[in-house]
Amino acid sequence: MGKKQVRPPRALPPVPSAVQDDVPLNRPKKKKPRPKSTLVSTSLDGLVQPAVHRPSEDSEQPTKATEHPEAPVQKRHRKTRLPLELETSFSQKKASSPSLLHSENGTDVEPAEEAVIQKPRKKTKKTQQSELQYANELGVEDEDIITEERNIPEQQSIFTAPTGISQPVGKVFVEKSRRFQAADRSELIKTTENIDTSLDMKPSWTTRDVALSVHRAFRMIGLFSHGFLAGCAVWNIVVIYVLAGDQLSNLSNLLQQYKNLAYPFQSLLYLLLALSTISAFDRIDFAKTSVALRSFLALDPTALASFLYFTALILSLSQQMTSDRIHLYTPSSVNGSLWAAGIEEQILQPWIVVNLVVALLVGLSWLFLSYRPGMDLSEELMFSSDVEEYPDKDKGIKASS
Amino acid sequence: MLQTSNYSLVLSLQFLLLSCDLFVNSFSELLRKAPVIQLVLFIIQDIAILFNIIIIFLMFFNTFVFQAGLVNLLFHKFKGTIILTAVYFALSISLHVWVMNLRWKNSNRFVWTDGLQTLFVFQRLAAVLYCYFYKRTAVRLGDPRFYQDSLWLRKEFLQGRR
Repeated sequence: MGKKQVRPPRALPPVPSAVQDDVPLNRPKKKKPRPKSTLVSTSLDGLVQPAVHRPSEDSEQPTKATEHPEAPVQKRHRKTRLPLELETSFSQKKASSPSLLHSENGTDVEPAEEAVIQKPRKKTKKTQQSELQYANELGVEDEDIITEERNIPEQQSIFTAPTGISQPVGKVFVEKSRRFQAADRSELIKTTENIDTSLDMKPSWTTRDVALSVHRAFRMIGLFSHGFLAGCAVWNIVVIYVLAGDQLSNLSNLLQQYKNLAYPFQSLLYLLLALSTISAFDRIDFAKTSVALRSFLALDPTALASFLYFTALILSLSQQMTSDRIHLYTPSSVNGSLWAAGIEEQILQPWIVVNLVVALLVGLSWLFLSYRPGMDLSEELMFSSDVEEYPDKDKGIKASS
Repeated sequence: MLQTSNYSLVLSLQFLLLSCDLFVNSFSELLRKAPVIQLVLFIIQDIAILFNIIIIFLMFFNTFVFQAGLVNLLFHKFKGTIILTAVYFALSISLHVWVMNLRWKNSNRFVWTDGLQTLFVFQRLAAVLYCYFYKRTAVRLGDPRFYQDSLWLRKEFLQGRR
């Protein structure tokens, strides 16, 4: 019976569109139920059955049906079941689908249609529950399901691909090794959810993290340079005093021995002092003058250390000229010598004192910094919440404006 | 939004240029066997500073604050860096020109005068401050808050319109 209900539309040869268009005009009352029957019939056949039938296909379809004896039974069974699923989402479209009738002429469908229309309303809850399972990206969306046949003129149907009515199925076709394989939708949903949660749990590496890691790396370099600088400065002053002899009596020996060492050490001292000063400034967040000044007035060891480093830097740089003079040392007897007889002590004495002071300052700074090695105001202020920072800036802007 | 990989790359470049600058400042006086060596080092240093200025400004332009039109706010926030970098660039070029002018014919000549010594001290001090401020700005510009809309920015925008 169901087969008979379904088959008549297919068996029809294509009719010229002009003739088809006239049919619904003559029988407008039958428009509403008929789309329902077409939905049922096409959904029964699934993807295999095209919505627009060509004469050549008409001979094939019945043979397929006979090959599978259980097919009519399934069809009949689905006929009552599948429209229920479709009912919820497609009931609105019924009114707009009278055009579907144009190619159909099943006139004896009405009793079955009534049963079909009534049942869906009872089972909508079930269908909604089942649809809730797919309430994520893998779920079936109404837009994805084609419910009505396209109103394509019949004469073009020969050249166009058949458009069927789609329906949600429990399987998802996943491409594996260039072939689409059916996978269970619910399992796939579970796996994707697991991936999502694992991604959420994974901490993302932001630009702030990059900045923070660079800042910490530089702090490590600074920590190394503090110690290395203190050691170098102490070693330097020891070497100078050893070479100069008791009461700086052997200055010419100092000049001769130290002249190759003076400029390299001056360069190294500048490099280490620069690194140490920058690192110490970082620790007290020197750019925020108010904070830095407050900590300096409170005799904070880190603030004192940065001040001492900066002083040492100025003192060290002020000796550049003398260092170059030592570097270019030639005995006074040599023609064109920079070192006239008798001026050695006059030039070297302040230089030795400055070097001693630099060594003391650098050593003291190292001690001060080692008192609180973990202190880093920059990191606290720059990378903490900006809630504290922006109001300060707001005040600054207001004051300036 | 600033990408982490892009920011890492830019930050690496900035630190490389800063390292170049620090290296030349430290050892240019030592590496003066021939005047050309010092000249090349000075040119590298000046180009490094110039590139750093360009990069930091490009980073400014990339911020949401700048794109929202709050240039004044951005300038106010990083004015220390901008001014110091400009001053340091000027000091560096002056010192380089002066030193090369004096040492071009004989690189091992004693050229120091009080003026040169003063300029040298100021240039080297500015270099340390520039390094500190530039590094701080580069690191701060990695803050995602500069690249997105926020309540704070909207307040600033409203204040700016008044």
